[in-house]
Amino acid sequence: MHYLLSWPVRLLVVGLLILSIAVDGAGYIQRVLNHQPLTGQVSGMPPQLFGNQVYIHRGLDLQGGTDLLLQITDVPPGRDMSQVQRDTIDVISKRINKLGVSEPVINPVGRDRIEVQLAGVSAAKAQATIGNTARLVTTKWVADANVKGGPFPGNRPQITALTSEMLTGADASLDAQNGNQWVINVTYNSQGAAIFSQLSTEAFNATCPNGATDCPQHSITNWLNLTADDVAHWDQRAADLYRPFDQGGKLLVDARILQPITGGQSQITGNFTADSAKNLAILLNSGALPGNLQVIQSTEVGATLGADSIKRSLAAGVLGLLIVIVFMIFFYRLPGLVASVALLFYAGLTLAVFKMIPVTLTLAGLAGFILSVGMAVDANVLIFERFKEEVRSGVSVGAAVETAVGRAWPAIRDSNTATLITTGLLYLAGNGPVKGFAITLFLGVLVSMFSSIIVTHNLMALVVENHNAERSFLMGVTLPLRRGRA
Amino acid sequence: MAELSRPGAARRPLSGEEATGEPVATPSRRLDIVGRRNVFFALSLLIIVPGIYSMLTRGFLLGIDFQGGTELFLKFSQPANQAQVEAVVASENVNGTVQKGANGTYIVRTRALDPAQQKKIVDDLDSKVAPVDRNQIQANQVGPSVAREIVTSALLAVLAAAILILLYLAFRFRRVRGGWRAGFQFGGSALLALLHDVFLLTGIFSILGKVLNLRIGEIDSLFLTAALTVVGFSVHDTIVVFDRIRENLVLSDRLGASRLTFEQVVNLSILQTAARSIITSFTVVLVLAALLLFGGQTLQGFVLALLIGILSGTYSSIFNASQLLVVWRKLQPVR
Repeated sequence: MHYLLSWPVRLLVVGLLILSIAVDGAGYIQRVLNHQPLTGQVSGMPPQLFGNQVYIHRGLDLQGGTDLLLQITDVPPGRDMSQVQRDTIDVISKRINKLGVSEPVINPVGRDRIEVQLAGVSAAKAQATIGNTARLVTTKWVADANVKGGPFPGNRPQITALTSEMLTGADASLDAQNGNQWVINVTYNSQGAAIFSQLSTEAFNATCPNGATDCPQHSITNWLNLTADDVAHWDQRAADLYRPFDQGGKLLVDARILQPITGGQSQITGNFTADSAKNLAILLNSGALPGNLQVIQSTEVGATLGADSIKRSLAAGVLGLLIVIVFMIFFYRLPGLVASVALLFYAGLTLAVFKMIPVTLTLAGLAGFILSVGMAVDANVLIFERFKEEVRSGVSVGAAVETAVGRAWPAIRDSNTATLITTGLLYLAGNGPVKGFAITLFLGVLVSMFSSIIVTHNLMALVVENHNAERSFLMGVTLPLRRGRA
Repeated sequence: MAELSRPGAARRPLSGEEATGEPVATPSRRLDIVGRRNVFFALSLLIIVPGIYSMLTRGFLLGIDFQGGTELFLKFSQPANQAQVEAVVASENVNGTVQKGANGTYIVRTRALDPAQQKKIVDDLDSKVAPVDRNQIQANQVGPSVAREIVTSALLAVLAAAILILLYLAFRFRRVRGGWRAGFQFGGSALLALLHDVFLLTGIFSILGKVLNLRIGEIDSLFLTAALTVVGFSVHDTIVVFDRIRENLVLSDRLGASRLTFEQVVNLSILQTAARSIITSFTVVLVLAALLLFGGQTLQGFVLALLIGILSGTYSSIFNASQLLVVWRKLQPVR
């Protein structure tokens, strides 16, 4: 174990210490360097380090927000499930982008589930945005004398066989040929192309009643979620439904057909701005949701409740650390002080690791971290108890440090390996709070082994080198010589 | 290892007290923890058996994570009357129950409701009872199928962890006299001690939740987290003692004809590590006390589970694990 006291190891410890301070205090360091106030909002936060933003990533239970687990159901038979899952995630991402949530998390879970985490959004709003079902519906217009109201009296939409699965893509682009206006290019697969070809030809050739030059029959309309029921009650619902989707209606675009479109590629023109064209493209794409979504698990935490939890856990963590330090110094004296320094190093390094990976801290994660402090203390206790034994048996204080570390090592190694095995498996198999707990405890145990076997060890060696072994009070152990027996 | 070449090993055969110049202490002159093992086994069974009986006959008070359902934590910004809250919840037809918490909070538990349905209840309470502080809401909804999966995956993880720990310990202790067989005895005893702690903890919670009908005895994912921590801690504690037994067996063997019996070695090892076990557990208990003080109501069950588990883990590592090893050795001797 003597090689652990060599200068490269000590250099490593000093390097890690500097790194920890730089990462942990990155925000304050940047504020000082830029002559900004130490508290309150300032520009340039969070600070950058090696190209990554470093800050504590807080879980939803600590910052407030919603966590939804969605189950994809009613998938048409024969479709590749992983493709459906990927498509659905794309669609959800596009819809969520509209909310402007910082760092939304959208992850696949298993084969047919998706987890969505949104900070600062209520569960009801999140569900409404993601939508349970959102299907692109394409209609043509047919004459119906019963329709008295709505935008086009005497006409109602009729749902066509063109479905969202047949739309392969929609994107906004600047059309150089038509005077640099924004257009949306829509592409259908071969099946969709055939249907669209027929629909557009019919619409183009439609004759308007009473010799009018224009009528709804010339248009093909895209909707989100328009149902057969809506169409059946068109007379009553038209005013609500025939409104843009983002204004509470179901309408995406009502486009007049200028020519029969046979190749499966159509272009929608109009008075689009860059934004409105992109939005429409997103909505057309987002209509292509292959199945239905069902919320099977949801967690919502109010914003101030989360902030309250942070305060509580921080207080618990700081108090816990303080109690342990006081106890260690009281019980082990000088070695206890050494262990406390090592413990602070441990806490600082673990926090820096959490910031750099980054680990998202949840309430259960904080509990795991606080418990790993207990495990870090244990390694020190093991070493010190051995140290006392060695000194009592007559070994010199200097040699006792080495022997104590050497003999405590197998116990530290084996006991921590067992914890690493358990937490590692829990991280792989667990979900939600269990995962957050496992990752912090796992990392905490790793750092604590390093902290005890290298930092405590080196500090003890340094103390002993400059220490008069006769002052046994400081070492917290009665030397055999001083018992007056020899 | 370092101990083979360590000077002074000959002067200091075994125990920490040898500097006093006494001969190697015999168990009869010291605290005999191994010899009185049946007393300690009985003490453990005294708690575990009623617990297991309660688990088998009454089961557990399940939280919504494990049962499926919705749980709403609400805080009214004006004082609210519990009867009014109950009346509104009853009118929703959601199998709801209402519990009053501290500081004007209410906990409403219902069958699994999706967020839109949850919002309706909150809106109704807001308009019919008193304004609800929307920033203080916490709502959890778990579908019954998800609940089953959480339990299954956690149990599988623990089972896999137990097997891996058994293999790891067998590997680490295979150099002890008796080879792999002895290694598996060490690993198996550690797992038995682990079972002791898990059954003691779940048993007590079954009694708390179902016999005494206390909410604190609720089994939810936080309890699961606590139980898993106890699993880690229990093995951790036991291994420290076993490690000392391993070391003392080597030292004892060097004494040749005057070597100690296995039982004596075990007893000595327990005495040598007891201080460390107690100090470490005490430190963790201190940290838990801090958590209890600041953690708030939602963490109380969690902290209680950890406290029981840590105490049980310390007890089993001192009074059960090594004694089980001794019994196992008697049943299946190694040469």
